[in-house]
Amino acid sequence: MTTTLKTTLTVSALALSAVAAHAEGGPTLATVMERGVLNCPGDIGSYLGFAEVDDQGNWKGLDIELCRAMATAIFGDPTKSNIVPIDWAQRWPALQSGDIDIVIKASGGTFTRDTELGLQFSNSYYLGTTKVMAPLALGLTTLADAAGGSICVPAATSIERQVASYLDAKGIEMEIVAIENNEEVQEAYFSGRCDTFAQWGPTLAIAASQSEDPSAHALLPDVLAVEPEVMITRQGDDNWVDIANWTLSVLLYAEQEGISSANVDDIRANPPTAEIGKLLGVNPGMGTPLGLADDWAYNVIKQVGNYSEIFERSLGTGSPYGMPRDLTALWNAGGVLYPYVID
Amino acid sequence: MHAPALWHSRRFRAALIQTAFAATLVLVVAFATLTAQRNLSEMGLTSGFAFLWKSTGWEMNFTLLPTDSTSPYWWFLLMGLMNTLFMGAIGLTGATALGLAVGLMRSGRNPAARLLGTIYIEIFRNIPLIVQLFFWYALANALPPPREAITFGGALISSRGIYLPTLALSQGATAAVVLALVAGTALALWFALSRRFRRLEQPARRRLTLAPLLLALLAAALIVVTGHAPGTPWLSNPVAEGLRINGGLRLQPEVYTLAIAITTFGAAYVGEIVRGGFKAVGRGQTEAAQALGLSPWQQFSRIRMPLAFRAMLPILINQYVWLIKATTLGIAVGFSEFFMVIASSINHSGQTLEFIAILMGGFLAINLTLAAVLNRLNRAIALKGHQTGGAA
Repeated sequence: MTTTLKTTLTVSALALSAVAAHAEGGPTLATVMERGVLNCPGDIGSYLGFAEVDDQGNWKGLDIELCRAMATAIFGDPTKSNIVPIDWAQRWPALQSGDIDIVIKASGGTFTRDTELGLQFSNSYYLGTTKVMAPLALGLTTLADAAGGSICVPAATSIERQVASYLDAKGIEMEIVAIENNEEVQEAYFSGRCDTFAQWGPTLAIAASQSEDPSAHALLPDVLAVEPEVMITRQGDDNWVDIANWTLSVLLYAEQEGISSANVDDIRANPPTAEIGKLLGVNPGMGTPLGLADDWAYNVIKQVGNYSEIFERSLGTGSPYGMPRDLTALWNAGGVLYPYVID
Repeated sequence: MHAPALWHSRRFRAALIQTAFAATLVLVVAFATLTAQRNLSEMGLTSGFAFLWKSTGWEMNFTLLPTDSTSPYWWFLLMGLMNTLFMGAIGLTGATALGLAVGLMRSGRNPAARLLGTIYIEIFRNIPLIVQLFFWYALANALPPPREAITFGGALISSRGIYLPTLALSQGATAAVVLALVAGTALALWFALSRRFRRLEQPARRRLTLAPLLLALLAAALIVVTGHAPGTPWLSNPVAEGLRINGGLRLQPEVYTLAIAITTFGAAYVGEIVRGGFKAVGRGQTEAAQALGLSPWQQFSRIRMPLAFRAMLPILINQYVWLIKATTLGIAVGFSEFFMVIASSINHSGQTLEFIAILMGGFLAINLTLAAVLNRLNRAIALKGHQTGGAA
């Protein structure tokens, strides 16, 4: 297992560096630079924790932070990101037509999206599990106990399919109530239309924490599916995927090496290793192969922060939701995330 | 160069222009389709309609025929279309009946009834339909859970729906009974009202009208008797068991709230159309009827109503087409009508252009058919060489 992982890592790193050595900025990067601003999708309304609007009308959340990190990598300035409000059904047409440059919208990498919709994925930046919430008063221990009851699901999402196939596989008979809008489907559950509510884990935790009585609801142990969330680009622009991947890798690498927005200037003044020197633009070579400035990674860490900082202010201790990292922690902290090797 | 004589024929020129116009239209559509196809394949997108035979992998909350997650897309689309027609049929019938009552109240002489009608119309016409729909849905969800359901003369009322006692029949047998009764009533109405049979003598015509009704009742009774499993009770009563309610006829909240919303909203508009129709009947007609010594009921049913109906019909057609399109709000409360099935399909399969084309084609077909049928009715009942009353 370790050997396989190592080999995979080495091969991927080799392959990526080979491509990057020849790349000189692809068409998407050229378009974005000419426009002077990076267009990312927001949400119609708020998708709490990932793309939400605060009371001053500013966008925040994990997906928004990643967009700001990419804008900083390209322009050296997080405010050069422009959030376009887009609903779930509109993400692919909006990406293909060029209204947005990249989809960072809690979207999973699926076979159909990869092969039939002409899309390409970055590495996973978040691992979400699909779970089911139920009122404690019903006394359910697993979803099978809810047989004969009803389950609210967000319509037209992969969750709708996951619920249908999980119920089929387990032979549980339930009435599926699919409603399109996030707020409406949540309201249907809390007002008692459904006995249970299937959603993406983080959304459920956030919904419960925002409800009238958070202690009255609990997540059932059933895990319906795991969905790796990825940044998604149009197919055929390798340089653009590289920029997305290396922005993510820099965020994770900085966390792994203990570099944060607070200490990045000190470390840059006196880099402990040649790799960190290259990362922060002290030694050249970090930017040119991607078509970016050499100090792009420094700008990202300085102005946006490392992955941990982003996570904590969007979903973790610095947010109203206080969610743990779980699977989304680094490999050395019990999670599954890792940066590529900077050499 | 001499212009050929043909060029001077007006009819030839008109035909030429029309042909050129049609050809341009065809070319533009063909060009757009080809360009779209080329661009899609350049972006690596799969286009075409092969996906219609793939299974969907999700489920519909309400269908008239059995459907599950292994059914193909074309079946889901068909079920969605049937749901739209089903909701349209309920909504249009309800809106017409209620609207007629409200319209009559508003055009009558009783001040209390007039006030009531006015209040109804001002409330339901001035609040957006989607707000009313959310109101009804929130109300339905606020009903008690199944275990604490309200019992009302054998019926159970809960947040899972309203459960009515019903005959113990399979789904297919129930559908057959409903179909037989509807077909019988439709035939009877046709025999009773169509001008095609006006030459028949009155007793013969009455017999012709009653025959399909009796036949339908007989058929329904036969289906009930044969479809009923021997040794089981005749009535199926709803009973709460665990998280659900078993037995009985279930009215789902998603279905009945949308039906209520469309009915009450549509009735406000139909009510005004009805009032307008009666206003359009000339005073002279009523006075002539009075002079002939007709009773008030005869004046209403023989003179004012038929004339008003002719004035209403063209506007009603417009309103009906509008109401059918309003069923698309079902997506807001999770009633899987045609639009919701299309929206879900787009997200699951990614075939945006194809599904939008199917959506437009579907609604065009429904509304053109509805308009064509009602226009035919309009022509059939129009008085030859008459304006309908008007400002006489």
